[in-house]
Amino acid sequence: MLRFDRRLIHHFDWVMLLMLFLVSGMALANLYSSTWNGGASPIFFKQLYFSLFGVALILALISFDYKELQTFGYIMYGGIIILLLYTDFFVQGTIAGTNRWINLGFFRLQPSEPAKLILVIVLASWYARHEAGSGYGFRKLLIPGLITVLPFCLILIQPDLGTALMLIILFCSISLLVRVRWSTVVILICLGLAGASIGYKFFLKDYQRKRIETFLHPESDPTNQGYQIMQSKIAVGSGQTLGKGFLEGTQGHLHFLPERHTDFAFSVWAEEWGFAGSVFFLSCYFFMLLWGINIAMGARDKFGVLLASGLVILIFWQTVINLFMIMGFLPVVGIPLPLFSYGGSSLLTTIVSIAILMNIRMRSSVIQK
Amino acid sequence: MKNIRKRNKWRSKAPAKTSQQSDGRQGAKMTKITQRDDGELDIIKKRVLVLSFVLVFFFGVLISRLWYLQVQKGEQFALLAENNRVRYVEVAAPRGNIFDRKGREIVTNRPSFNVVWSREDNRLDDQLLKKMARILDVDISVLLARIRKMENTPGHIPIRLADDIDWEKVAYIENNRLDLPGVKIEVVPLRVYHYDNLASHLIGYLGEINKKELKASKEGVYRGGDLVGKMGLEKIREFDLRGEKGRSYMEVNALGFEQKNLKGEEPLPGSDLQLTIDIDMQKIAEDIMTENDFAGAVVAVEVNSGRQLVLASAPTLQINEFVGGISHKAWNGMLENPHHPLLNKVVQGQYPPASTYKLVTAAAGLAEGVINSETVMYCPGHYRFGNRIYRCWKRAGHGAVNLEKAVAESCDVFFYQVGLRLGVDRLAEYAKKLGIGKKTGVEMEHEKGGLAPTSAWKKRRYNEVWQEGETLSVAIGQGFDLATPIQICMMTAAVANGGTLYKPMVIEKIFDSDGNLVSHKQPQVAQQFTGQGRNLRLIREGMKEAVNGRHGTGRAARLEGITVAGKTGTAQVVRLKQYKHLKEEDIPYKYRDHAWFTCFAPAENPKIAVTVLVEHGLHGGSAAAPVAKAVLEKYFEGSVKKMPEVSVVRLSRQEKELAAN
Repeated sequence: MLRFDRRLIHHFDWVMLLMLFLVSGMALANLYSSTWNGGASPIFFKQLYFSLFGVALILALISFDYKELQTFGYIMYGGIIILLLYTDFFVQGTIAGTNRWINLGFFRLQPSEPAKLILVIVLASWYARHEAGSGYGFRKLLIPGLITVLPFCLILIQPDLGTALMLIILFCSISLLVRVRWSTVVILICLGLAGASIGYKFFLKDYQRKRIETFLHPESDPTNQGYQIMQSKIAVGSGQTLGKGFLEGTQGHLHFLPERHTDFAFSVWAEEWGFAGSVFFLSCYFFMLLWGINIAMGARDKFGVLLASGLVILIFWQTVINLFMIMGFLPVVGIPLPLFSYGGSSLLTTIVSIAILMNIRMRSSVIQK
Repeated sequence: MKNIRKRNKWRSKAPAKTSQQSDGRQGAKMTKITQRDDGELDIIKKRVLVLSFVLVFFFGVLISRLWYLQVQKGEQFALLAENNRVRYVEVAAPRGNIFDRKGREIVTNRPSFNVVWSREDNRLDDQLLKKMARILDVDISVLLARIRKMENTPGHIPIRLADDIDWEKVAYIENNRLDLPGVKIEVVPLRVYHYDNLASHLIGYLGEINKKELKASKEGVYRGGDLVGKMGLEKIREFDLRGEKGRSYMEVNALGFEQKNLKGEEPLPGSDLQLTIDIDMQKIAEDIMTENDFAGAVVAVEVNSGRQLVLASAPTLQINEFVGGISHKAWNGMLENPHHPLLNKVVQGQYPPASTYKLVTAAAGLAEGVINSETVMYCPGHYRFGNRIYRCWKRAGHGAVNLEKAVAESCDVFFYQVGLRLGVDRLAEYAKKLGIGKKTGVEMEHEKGGLAPTSAWKKRRYNEVWQEGETLSVAIGQGFDLATPIQICMMTAAVANGGTLYKPMVIEKIFDSDGNLVSHKQPQVAQQFTGQGRNLRLIREGMKEAVNGRHGTGRAARLEGITVAGKTGTAQVVRLKQYKHLKEEDIPYKYRDHAWFTCFAPAENPKIAVTVLVEHGLHGGSAAAPVAKAVLEKYFEGSVKKMPEVSVVRLSRQEKELAAN
């Protein structure tokens, strides 16, 4: 299995690693501030250890050929479905009345996070193995559709609407990369809209419907959902051009910001570092993503291209959704900012994604020579 | 790259079969990058390139949004963030204290603990409301009513859920503050009345500021819910007493807990008032009036300065009824009370001055020379004027009467004739000189001026010509004559001090909150009744006889060791035939005569003047004089031995009759 080429070392993706360190460094500094309580909080150290573990994980993940994932992905898919089933039906809900975590003692695993990554791998694998021909039709989309819908349903009943919808978004985005018949696309969009409206009416839980309603009419509910968005906008806006300074943000430190070290972590950053700091951060972040696109463009096989772009899509959509929420474009959805929000499952999933991108990069370069 | 793409393009045109064939010829390394993929790979890569544009587009959107929020609207959001974290808190200033002339506390403050809920910090949900109702031990509807009352006020003003809660509740709320977000304890100074209702008409009470008062006040001085003086000195001296509110800017966190004080000003307590009142004397006066169930007024003044020692109106106000707003029922009860507790009888009660007015008539007659010390008139018990008979109160008559005897025994016939000789207008002129018919200017609200009638006044008021017969009534203080107790007291003081009419003084000194003297009031002369030293001495002799003489009318005011000089008065309320033959006790309360007694002491060197009015008290000598005596006794306490109680048995029949007038 291991056919390690010495030349690979020469083609190690230092750029991606540098960007990862840069973004993670900013994330850790921000976490230090957002959880600061007269001293560094244990949460900060926990995330620091996860980050170090993630870096070690990169070494392991670049040592094998990513093409192994084409078959290995299905095994992982089977594994994650079992974990999701276990989470849904055998874990008693503890946090906020939801069953999202499996307690491993040292670590609370949130299976829906790796599920997103595994779905990308499996979809890339499936599309790579099946020729598009004159374009995928309904019948050919049935299998990837089912592959998506199974974890979607399992995550939806946790309930975690945000992550579940993320799977649908990933399926749609990746499917748009491959050739799908236009007629099929149009029909699928119509079906999707119909499904969404029916789902909104009959399947959404009250709190989920309320979130959407609050987003549409923020003044109707000033203290809960709308309050969170409002406080986030105040935090971001009050940072002004140069920010209030490290550890000086009032919105975060006086607890006006909800979830300030998880979903709303970027609000703290924007408040303390201002427009200048935010632009710097986003530039690094998007450079990292564009570098991922570059990796996809450089890949020599269909699986490599689909997998690399799928991973970029995975990180990209979470980023956009999270930042749109923070800046008041979207209702409160529980999507973290990859690498930036506190949470071991999300952090490790993202680091693994980036390690796979580095893996693809190394092997495309080697083959090109 | 370019090269590869060109080749791919060409290959995609080739039939699939050919590419499959060529596939087989490829080396082992190339098996996985199948050439049949090339056409499809090209399309996918094109789309990935599009994806990079999508990325750049969203990056642009995010940066624009950040620009809008942070740079364009940054200042507004910075302001919102400041509002979020900074709470403006007003701290009530302790009101000034009120002391008596000897520096004894009458009204001070103590801290009271109120429960307030800050709407900005937390929404009051049902659960919290239920918790608060349980802690405060009130019905939930009480809390809801208070919240509803404040619904239309700006959100930064906290709502008061409970006032003046006890220590146990304060401790409980403080210990559980983490479970009660937005709920706070507010410390507010509360008035303490050390002598309950003592001098309540003078001091007044506090009440919540109303909309009219709020509108009339300067911006920023008051806000809704503040307590302001509603009556008495509390109202008149509001400016001195209120002090200045403290203001502080507190940093709070999202739960409303205060983190640190950013900046602020301590409240400036109000100024203290030292009154001229003597609480011992005031208390004696009020107690006697209450014990006897008297309605009326007691006024005592230093004759040489106008410093008021007693300003009592009976019955006193029940101050407790007014704290926190008086109930409709209590208010109506006061309105319907025949003793009219709401009326400050010292300045608002106007009564016929009756025989006390004879001092004015005597002074006028002497000054105008229509009588002198040698003038003697004969009193047969009545005086015929025109076709009417005017009676003296003593049916048998006083016989030959000079001025001294006329004052001492209150002979009506003597004064009828003095009045006639003077005429009503000259009489009124002297009444005014002695302060009757004119407001004294004492610091009490809604003072009435009384009335010293003139012919011009009658013409103006009733458009009628003055009848000479009416002058007879006016000369003995009946008819149109009206005076307030404080006017009679100031007049008596003027007679006692040789003709100086002082302006009544209530406040001696004002101290600021640090105890520095801000203002020390000096006696003010209202007017001078000059060149009457000899004449007034004659009147004083008569007054001395009235108390000390064998036939004096005011013998009930005699003091051992101190010579008291005084004048009684019995003011007719109505003259109704149907009551004429009834015994006094059978006349309905509201038709009984008012009793006056006014006096000064010591007669040789006057220091204090005391006036007592008992509404419907029947006889000045019996009802009013003992009250004056008690006040005098208190004043001279220590300087003289207390006089043994006069037993009723020792009074002769004649004395009783005398005491009746």
